[in-house]
Amino acid sequence: MKKLLSPYSEAILNEYLEQLPLFKTMEAQLKTTIRDCLSDAGIHVAGLESRVKTESSLAGKLELKGYKYKSLADITDILGIRVITFYRDDVDVVASAIERLFEVDWENSVDKRKLHDLDSFGYLSLHYVCRIPDMPFRVEIQMRSLLQHAWANLYHDTGYKSGLEIPKEYIRNMNRLAGMLELADEQFSHIRTELTDYRRRVQTLVSTGNLDDVLLDGDTFKGYLELDPFGQLNRRIAAINQAEIHEVSLMPYLAIFKNMGCKTLGDIARIIKDYFEGAYQIACFQMGLTDLDIMASSVGPQNICIAYTLKNGGGKAGIRNLFDILNGPSESNVMMAEFILGQAKDLPFMNQ
Amino acid sequence: MEVSVSHEKNEIIVRFSGRMDTPGAQEIAPQMNALTEEAGKTVILDCTDLTYISSSGLRIFLTFHKASLEKGGKVIIRNICNEIRNVFMMTGFLNLFEIQ
Repeated sequence: MKKLLSPYSEAILNEYLEQLPLFKTMEAQLKTTIRDCLSDAGIHVAGLESRVKTESSLAGKLELKGYKYKSLADITDILGIRVITFYRDDVDVVASAIERLFEVDWENSVDKRKLHDLDSFGYLSLHYVCRIPDMPFRVEIQMRSLLQHAWANLYHDTGYKSGLEIPKEYIRNMNRLAGMLELADEQFSHIRTELTDYRRRVQTLVSTGNLDDVLLDGDTFKGYLELDPFGQLNRRIAAINQAEIHEVSLMPYLAIFKNMGCKTLGDIARIIKDYFEGAYQIACFQMGLTDLDIMASSVGPQNICIAYTLKNGGGKAGIRNLFDILNGPSESNVMMAEFILGQAKDLPFMNQ
Repeated sequence: MEVSVSHEKNEIIVRFSGRMDTPGAQEIAPQMNALTEEAGKTVILDCTDLTYISSSGLRIFLTFHKASLEKGGKVIIRNICNEIRNVFMMTGFLNLFEIQ
């Protein structure tokens, strides 16, 4: 049903319809600008949304508050953009990026995170009204965390904007949830900070060579690989046939080293040292009989693990298990285990 | 060295036949390079009739694997004989590919 509007409001609505193509163009351009800016700054966000206010929504706004506006330029949220961050701490980081990107109309911007009393919970979001170069209209940029976004969306779904009164008990329950999510948001940020500190401490231990103090996990193994612990072995193996080394991920070897009982990076370092010669002898026997002049950087760790398994009595079953972990279980892994066992039994390291 | 390409359902099947040594790899390189245009799809490299692979052959497979990664496709190596499987293992390329 068409709403009855004042002549001023009708004029604003007509101006809106005339300018709609401009808003649509600006919407796409601004999203790209913001996305590129965040990406360049290394800020990972959970989402970037935008919308141009619909005609009916604007008509509704003018019906309720039309007296506040003299022209379309007075309305600051015709074009709205929302940046949703993973962590609540990142809202301020995104805000800094937006401040560098656009001129913020501070008078009309509001930090709704600071509007709550100490004993109240609810909508938390940072709203900036920004002036865009060569654009006669301001835009609203909302920034909030994923959990703040979840709460706001669910609260919106209750229909608080519909004008119908919602029973107080539901509002109380929504506010209780807001408090709970605020606490969860804080905890997620806290966990991230702790993890960053942990990684920094581990990096220091690895770089200073205190490998026995570093427990083996995905993070620490990745950091260890950056030191290129198999590089020397790979280069020596490559020299057999003057082979080119093709770099591949060595992360699959984490499961193998764990399976071999390694608890710390120091355990891996000792295995590399102790089985270096055996791994090289295996490569000499295999590659030396061919003219293969290309190899993956996984040859070093693969041969280390094979040498360790053979020297520690793992036999065919042990080698098969190694390939099962690396490549997935398969009957062909038995064949490869037999092939290796046949080659390795007479190698010098096996008899030392 | 021969290579034949067929499109079946949503897959591209590339069948190799003969020895993929240096001359063989050079022979099929133009066809394989052209095929990288379609590396965004699932490509099955059928090695049932492939009897030998050299470093040049491995490079053909690796180039195609790289193109597939860049284009979000998938490469499956099917029916390799034990000798060729051992070459993949010795050179450390075995777990780079999905081998059936």
